[in-house]
Amino acid sequence: MLIAAASPTPTPVSVPGAGIFSSPLLLSLTIWVPVALAIAIATMPNPRGRYDVLMKQIAFFTNFGLLFILFIAYNQFQTFLPTMQYEEKVPWLQAIGVTYHLGVDGPGMVMLILSALIGIASVLASLGIRERVRSYFCLLLLTQASVNGAIVARDMFVLVLFWAAASIPLALLVLGWGGPRRHPAAWRLLGYWGLGTGALLVGTMALYAATGGASFDMDVLLKTAISPRVQVAVGLLMIVAAATRLPLFPLHGWARDVYGEAPIGVAVIVAGTASRLGAYLLLRTLVAAEPAAAHLLAPLLAALAALTVGYAALVALRASDLRHAAAYLALIPGGITAFALAALSPLAIAGAVLSFFAGGLAAALIVGVCATLSDRAQSRSLQVLSGLAPRMPVLTWLLVIAGLALLGVPLLATFTSELMTFFGSFKTQPIGAFAVAAGLGVAAVALAVLFRRVLFGSPNPDAPGVSDASLGETWYMALLAGGLLWVGVFPSGPTLPGTGTPLFDPGLVNVMAAGISDIASPYAGTGP
Amino acid sequence: VKDLVLVPEALVVAAAAFLLLAGRLAWIRPAARRYLPGAVAVVALFALAIELWAGATVGTYFGGGLVQDRFALFAKAAVLLAVAMAFAVVDWTAEDSLSIGLAMPLLAAFGVMVAASAGDLVALWAGLELAAAAAVVMVSLRRPDLALRLLVTGGVASALVLTGLAFLYASVGTSDLTTMREVLFSSMPTLALAIPVFLVVSGLAVRAALAPFQLVSIPASLGASPLGAGLVLGLVAAAAATVAIKLVAALSPIPSVYSSYLEVIAAAAMVGGGAAALATRSPRARLAYLAAGQIGWVAAGLVTHYRAGLAASLFLLGAFAVAATCGPAVMGRADGGEPALAGMGVLRPARAAALALAMLSLAGAPPLAGFFGEFAVGAALAQTGSFGLLALGILGSVLSVAATAGTLRVMYIQSPLEEARRTSRLPVLTRLSSFGAVAFCVVIAAYGFLSSPILGLANQGAEALGLR
Repeated sequence: MLIAAASPTPTPVSVPGAGIFSSPLLLSLTIWVPVALAIAIATMPNPRGRYDVLMKQIAFFTNFGLLFILFIAYNQFQTFLPTMQYEEKVPWLQAIGVTYHLGVDGPGMVMLILSALIGIASVLASLGIRERVRSYFCLLLLTQASVNGAIVARDMFVLVLFWAAASIPLALLVLGWGGPRRHPAAWRLLGYWGLGTGALLVGTMALYAATGGASFDMDVLLKTAISPRVQVAVGLLMIVAAATRLPLFPLHGWARDVYGEAPIGVAVIVAGTASRLGAYLLLRTLVAAEPAAAHLLAPLLAALAALTVGYAALVALRASDLRHAAAYLALIPGGITAFALAALSPLAIAGAVLSFFAGGLAAALIVGVCATLSDRAQSRSLQVLSGLAPRMPVLTWLLVIAGLALLGVPLLATFTSELMTFFGSFKTQPIGAFAVAAGLGVAAVALAVLFRRVLFGSPNPDAPGVSDASLGETWYMALLAGGLLWVGVFPSGPTLPGTGTPLFDPGLVNVMAAGISDIASPYAGTGP
Repeated sequence: VKDLVLVPEALVVAAAAFLLLAGRLAWIRPAARRYLPGAVAVVALFALAIELWAGATVGTYFGGGLVQDRFALFAKAAVLLAVAMAFAVVDWTAEDSLSIGLAMPLLAAFGVMVAASAGDLVALWAGLELAAAAAVVMVSLRRPDLALRLLVTGGVASALVLTGLAFLYASVGTSDLTTMREVLFSSMPTLALAIPVFLVVSGLAVRAALAPFQLVSIPASLGASPLGAGLVLGLVAAAAATVAIKLVAALSPIPSVYSSYLEVIAAAAMVGGGAAALATRSPRARLAYLAAGQIGWVAAGLVTHYRAGLAASLFLLGAFAVAATCGPAVMGRADGGEPALAGMGVLRPARAAALALAMLSLAGAPPLAGFFGEFAVGAALAQTGSFGLLALGILGSVLSVAATAGTLRVMYIQSPLEEARRTSRLPVLTRLSSFGAVAFCVVIAAYGFLSSPILGLANQGAEALGLR
């Protein structure tokens, strides 16, 4: 498995269906189609909620259509091309050197596929929304558009634009449809993400000034040699920006309230993709662009990652609220991704990219399952919830899969990513690797305690009535679990037996390899 | 074409004079009154079209007192667009007088136009005072007490500006802005120059309602009619900012006489505006503080004293003028505080969208006009190494966005109040105001996406002021 993951198919693969779709505006479609349909939803007449169902259908089919288009793009992706693909470049604010520049490489494509999957899961998880349906789905589509925009941005201005834009609809979604403590949750989200946006903006401006103030294009900004002092300053700012999103200890203050109070669909999108942008930013602006600063700051990043995993596991162990426990457990994949990036070895960087996908799905799944379970059990208190497995078989299975995914057990995508991370980091960050592994051990204990108490303990006769997941809820969680299983079982994609010809999936590991060799080349001498 | 350059000014003044006379002499029949705002908005748009067509012609008028260049073209176009949009979106049932309500914004716009094309200190001062006087008249229609306070404070500001300009003239030996710049190239920064500049900047800070000098302007805007508030917060501040940009361009050979003071004012306005917006619960006060914060960004761009910075300030000023003038007009009556806006997203979707975009743009939220302007100013600050000011500006913007989220929550997420519990009525729906609200949304969104030509024109404007 590890060999398959670490060594992508040695020759470019051709997949049936490749070449049937081509658009020079492919990446723009992933941003502007959701925006256009959000505007359509916002402006269409809806007397007395008559078209609420139609709005949900529009949101679903928008995401479904995007996933379909992206799946074709994923199949057509040139897996061994080190450059950006599907590029779009149009001059924008020429006076200050801004271009509307979009493009994806392997890690970007992995993030886009993740975003599309999470998008569908988020809409399916939101089918139960009854109040102000128009506003909800309009804001949800705007959030998805912002996330997609931040993923495909190849100009720092465009990145800042979409990075910052995501926080407003998300805060409004929490404020409007969240639980009883939605107000502090939304303000914390705005505060922490605002701090992150500020750090990103100052870092961007520092890079802009250091590179001569001619362009915000990443090809210029991140590839021009700058002094180590500026690199370190910018690197620190980028770590702050990433730590507010991922989140990493001690800038995780929003996570408990937001994951605990947000409606399920919103919690899924925050845990699944919006927060992964933090790691993606680190990969782009620190690891890929500033090797000197990355080497200097790697111990700091590794320490933050280890603290995040350990702290999250310990607090989850002591939690008395199921959604809060899930919120802390959802921090663990982010910590592991950050640790993989801190390891600065080619294998660990590949592990980090795979963990964007695997960690995003695992975090979304644990947050989603626990929120759905709380809803269905009419309580989120761990003093009340007990012995639910016989009465909630579907949710039990999904919660077990989510827990195992967090721990990285074989057959799940997180296993491959964590294995690559640890194998790639034991040489460069041995203490950090031990600390993260110890944190995972505590997380395993926390999950075992949680399972024993909530699922397999003796039933609580005083607890309110419970019911298992509905069809829509089962679908969204099964989609997330299915993604984890699929990539876990077929990291290089399924092939025709005996031929090596890929069937319909070139393999996530093959796709993500495009671009990683370039990113990892400064660190080629380190690690395995 | 050169003779057509002043046609927009002539149209604006003629329309204002006609409206004042018509109101006084009751020339307009009641049946025709409902069409009057639309007709005046069309006149303003016609003036804008002529400005865009003929305004590219460079020339001087009245012995150099007025100069038509790209700067004038940009500023005049922005203010004409702001006024036309404001006439279209305002709820005229909430205004005190139709004729004066239409005439005063036109006169204020004329003031900004005069300041924008001023060739010397006298025209600069005259333009600023004209805009400020129109604001006093608008406020006095509803709150004479606040108008008196505004008049007195404005008088002090005017005295500061006038004294400063007089000393500046005495120190440099000329009132012509181009000649002043040439003379200053061979001068050293002295106390005799620093003191008058200090006085002028202080006066302009009061006029532009920059924190902490907004003590009268903001209460006055809160007491005025919606259009009056837009005039105080938008057009008068735009006039002061226009004067500041032209003066800074003239003084740019000796930036040390103004940059430190301007830096402090900009920082206080950006952070203070955002913090005050977050602290207040009244939607119009919040809008006013957001405007104060954004005008701080305009001032921050001037600190750079390079073409890129001044161009970015001018670019942002365009976005500011439209959003700050139209914001209160879109909001309508806001006496009932935040609950008065509850459910506006359901009951008045077009106006709610327009108000949301106005506030978000003033807060600097992406992807709207204000964000693009603030980003351009930020880039200029980075180029000059002013990272401290940039960080404070970002802090102010984050606070502003958080404040705006509070109002958006009330508009879009709270359920509408029953009519009996509503302390003030929501804006009346008319075809013109709905159309105006949609057009305003398009303008605020398009300003960012079409920012390349707009910023290019702003760049030419800064270049026309002699900056390299």
